Amino acid sequence: MRLLLLPAIAVLAVFAAALTALFRWSLLEFIPGSLVPGGYTLDNFRAVLTPQYLHAVRDTVVLAALTTILTLVASYPVAYALARTPSRAVRSALLVLTLAPFFTGAIVRTYAWVLVLGNTVVTWPVPMLFTERGVLVGLVHFSMPTMILILAAALSHIDPAYERAAASLGARPARVFWRVTLPLSRPGIISGGLIVFAWTLSAFPTPELLGGGKVKMIANVVKDLGLDSFNWPGAAAFAMLALALTLALLTAAGRVTGSRAA
Amino acid sequence: MRSRFLASLAGALLGVTLLAPAAHAQNALVVSVWGGNWKDTVEKVIGKAFTAKTGMPVEFEVGGTIDRLAKARVAKGNPLVDLNFTTTHVARLYISDGLYEKLDMAKLPSAKEIAKEAIRSDYHVGSWAYVYTVVYRPDLVKEDITKWSDLWKPSLKGKIAMPDFDPSHIITIAALMEGGNEVNWQKGEARLKQLKESIAAFFSTDAQSQDLMKTGQAPVQVMLSVNAYHLQEQGISVKVVQPTDYPGIVGIDTMAVMAGTKKSDAAHQFINIALSKEIQAELVKALRAGPVNLGATVPANLKGQPGIFATTAEWKERGYIMNDEARAKNLPGWREWFTANIVKK
Amino acid sequence: MMLRVTVLLLLAFMTLPTVVVIAVSFNPTAILSFPPAGFSWRWYVNVLTYPQFQRAAWNSLLVTGGAVALALPIGTLAALALERARLRGRALWAAALLSPLVAPGVAAGLGFLILAAALGLLRSRVVLITAHVALVLPFVVRSVWVSVRNLDPALERAAASLGASPRRAFFRVTLPLLRPGLFAALLFAVVVSVNEFVVSLFISNRVTEILPVAMFTYVVNYTDPTIAALSSLFIAATFLVIWLADRFLDLGRVFLQH
Repeated sequence: MRLLLLPAIAVLAVFAAALTALFRWSLLEFIPGSLVPGGYTLDNFRAVLTPQYLHAVRDTVVLAALTTILTLVASYPVAYALARTPSRAVRSALLVLTLAPFFTGAIVRTYAWVLVLGNTVVTWPVPMLFTERGVLVGLVHFSMPTMILILAAALSHIDPAYERAAASLGARPARVFWRVTLPLSRPGIISGGLIVFAWTLSAFPTPELLGGGKVKMIANVVKDLGLDSFNWPGAAAFAMLALALTLALLTAAGRVTGSRAA
Repeated sequence: MRSRFLASLAGALLGVTLLAPAAHAQNALVVSVWGGNWKDTVEKVIGKAFTAKTGMPVEFEVGGTIDRLAKARVAKGNPLVDLNFTTTHVARLYISDGLYEKLDMAKLPSAKEIAKEAIRSDYHVGSWAYVYTVVYRPDLVKEDITKWSDLWKPSLKGKIAMPDFDPSHIITIAALMEGGNEVNWQKGEARLKQLKESIAAFFSTDAQSQDLMKTGQAPVQVMLSVNAYHLQEQGISVKVVQPTDYPGIVGIDTMAVMAGTKKSDAAHQFINIALSKEIQAELVKALRAGPVNLGATVPANLKGQPGIFATTAEWKERGYIMNDEARAKNLPGWREWFTANIVKK
Repeated sequence: MMLRVTVLLLLAFMTLPTVVVIAVSFNPTAILSFPPAGFSWRWYVNVLTYPQFQRAAWNSLLVTGGAVALALPIGTLAALALERARLRGRALWAAALLSPLVAPGVAAGLGFLILAAALGLLRSRVVLITAHVALVLPFVVRSVWVSVRNLDPALERAAASLGASPRRAFFRVTLPLLRPGLFAALLFAVVVSVNEFVVSLFISNRVTEILPVAMFTYVVNYTDPTIAALSSLFIAATFLVIWLADRFLDLGRVFLQH
C-alpha cells in the first residue's frame, strides 16, 4: 500500500531536484555572455544587497503589504455575503463570480487591466498604466478570489449560535459584527493575509505587464536576470530569496490555522 | 471495458505527447527580428517571396534589440536563428563577439543596386532606413512643434516619452545643440538634465511607446518614423516632425547571417530577395521606410516625408547619420549614464 | 442594505475588467476603445488564423493532455496510500505532496530551466510536461483524497468476499466510487495546466510554448485587440466549465468546508 506513493514521490523528487539546482546555482559565479558558471561564491547574494536591487526588494515588500491590506478590506464584505447568504442561487452566483477569474489565467486577467488602466474606459486623472498605482490595483484584483474563499471558509466555520447569543443579549447587528464575528474570523484573516502576502511577493505577470518595465518586483528581476541577461546565478539568488520568504510566511500561516482550528 | 479503454487512451495520449516532434518545421529558415508590424511586414513582404521562390518556410524569433543580442551570445557557435535583423550600430557588437559570418557578395547580386552607404561592413547590409524624430498628437498638444529644441519648452512638461533602451538620439541632439556631437557628447549633459522634468515616461518596447501615444499618457515622443506611420495607419492622428533646427537621427536596420548556421545559402538568398528593387518598393509602401535600393520606386504621396528619403543626397541633407562605430562603442556608457541621470527619479 | 451595496460595488470591480475585455474584442479597428466604435469579428478571425497561436494551442493540448494523463493515476494512487497505508508522519507526507504549490513560480521555473540545461533537454517538451505534472499533482491529490476519505471500505471488502481479485475490486468498485473526486481532480488539473504561465515561460521556447506564453509574447509586441478576443474565448470557456462544475458538484461544499 505504501508503494502506491512511489510514483508521486518520483515526481516530487524531480521538483526537489529543480529547486536544488536553483540553490546550487545561486552560489556559483556568473560569467557574462556564457551559460557556463564559475566557482562557488557569495557574490550573487551580495548583489541582492546593492542599492539598485535592494530597491526592488523594498518595492516588493511595500507593494505586497499594501495589496494584502487593501485585499482584506475589499474581500471581507464579499466573503461575508458568500458565507452567510441563505439562498443557494446567490451563493452559486457569488462563487462563480469569485472563482471564474481564478480559472481564466494570469495573462487574461492582467491584460484586462492593461485595457482599463490604459484610459480605454475612462481617462484617469493621474496616469495609471505603467505606474505603481496601476500595479497595486492589478494585484488587489488578482488576490481577491483567494482572500474571499479563505475568509468565507473561516466565516462559515463560526457557529452562528455565538452571534445569536450576542443579539439576544441586546447587541445591534453592527456591534455583533465588530465584537463577535470579526474576532472569531481572525484565524481566517491572518492566514488569508499571510497567504496573499506570500503570494504577492512572487507576483510576476501583473507587475510585468502593468508595470511597463518601471515597476520591478522580485519575480521581474528574476526574469530579467534569468531570461534577458542570462545571468542564471544572479537570478537564482533572487529566486532563492523569494522562496525563503514564501516558505517562512506560509509556515507562519500554517501555524495559525493549525493551532486555532476553528 | 471502460477502465481498460481509459487506460489505453491515457497511454496513447502520453505516447503522442512524447513522440510529437520537438521542432515544428525542421527545414525552415529562422529569422530574428523585432515583433509587431516589423515581423508582420518581413513575413508578408520578404518571407512570402522567399518561400515562393525556394519552397522553404520562414519562422521568426521576435524580441527587442538587446534581448536578441543576449540570446545570440549565449547560443554562440550553435545559433538558434539563421538570419538576424538588427540596427546597424548594434550589429557592430554582434561582429565584435564573432556572431556573424562574412557575407559572400557573389551570392548577393541585388547588392550592386543598393546605395554604397547601405553596405555597412563585410558582415552586414542595410535593409531599410528611417529617422528618429519628434512625433506628437496635435489633438492633445495645442501648439505646433517644429524643432528639437521645442522639447525643452515648459509647456510640454510632463508630456514627453522617449526610449530608455537606446538614448543615442536625444544624447546626440543635446550634444549638437551645444556645438558638439556623438563623439564628445558630454557637452550636452547639462542640457539633457534640463529635459528631465519634462519627461513623463520611458518606454522599453515599440508596443509600450504606441500604448503611451494611444492612451494619451505621453502625447509627445522621440519616436521611430516607421512606428509613427504605423500609428497613423491604425487611425491615430499623429504629426511626424521634420525638425528645422537639427535633422532627425537616421537609423538603418541591417541583415546578417549568423556564424555557425547550417542554412547559409538560404540566408543569403533571403537577403538577396530583400535587397531587390521590387521587394524594396514593397517594403517602402508597407513600412513607410526609406529604401536602400536606389532603383526602388517610392510612391509620390510618400516621397520626401521624414524618414522616407529616396536619394543619398536627401539622406545627407535631411537626416543626421551618426558614426556607427562611435555609437556602438558609446552605447553601453550612454545607457548607464542615461539610466542613472535621466531615468532614475 | 449597506452590505448589499458594498458587495455589489466590489463585484462590479471584480468583473469590470472582464466586461471591458469582451467589449474591446469586438472593436473594428486596432484602437482599443470602450465602448467599441462598432462591431467586428476580425480579431477573433486573427486569433484563429495566427500561426503562433495555432501552434501554441496544439502545444497546450499536448502538454496538458500529457500532464493530466500522468497526474491522475499518480495522484489517485498517492491519495489512496495517504489514507490507507500505515505511514509514519502522514501529515508530513501530505505536506510534501502539496509542497509544489508553495514554491514561487519563478523559482520553480528557473530551477527547471537549469535542470533541463544540465540534462540537455532544453528544446524538448519532456521538462515542460514533467513540470506541469508536479504543479498539478497537489490539486489532484487533494481532490481525490477527499473522495477516498468518504469511501466506505465495507464496499470493497464486500467485493472481495464475493470473489473479486484486488485489481478487479479496484477498477469495478473503488474507482467508480471515487468519481466525484476524480472529476474535480480532472477539472483542476486541466484548468491549472492550461493557464500555467510563469514556470512555462522559463522552460518553453518558440517551438514548445503553450498558449499563455504565446499570449504574453503577443501582448508585449502588439497593441491591437487580438488578445482581447482570445481572452474572451478563455473567459467564455471558463464560465461554462465553472457553471457545469457547480451544477454537478455543488462547489460550495468543495470550497467552503475543509
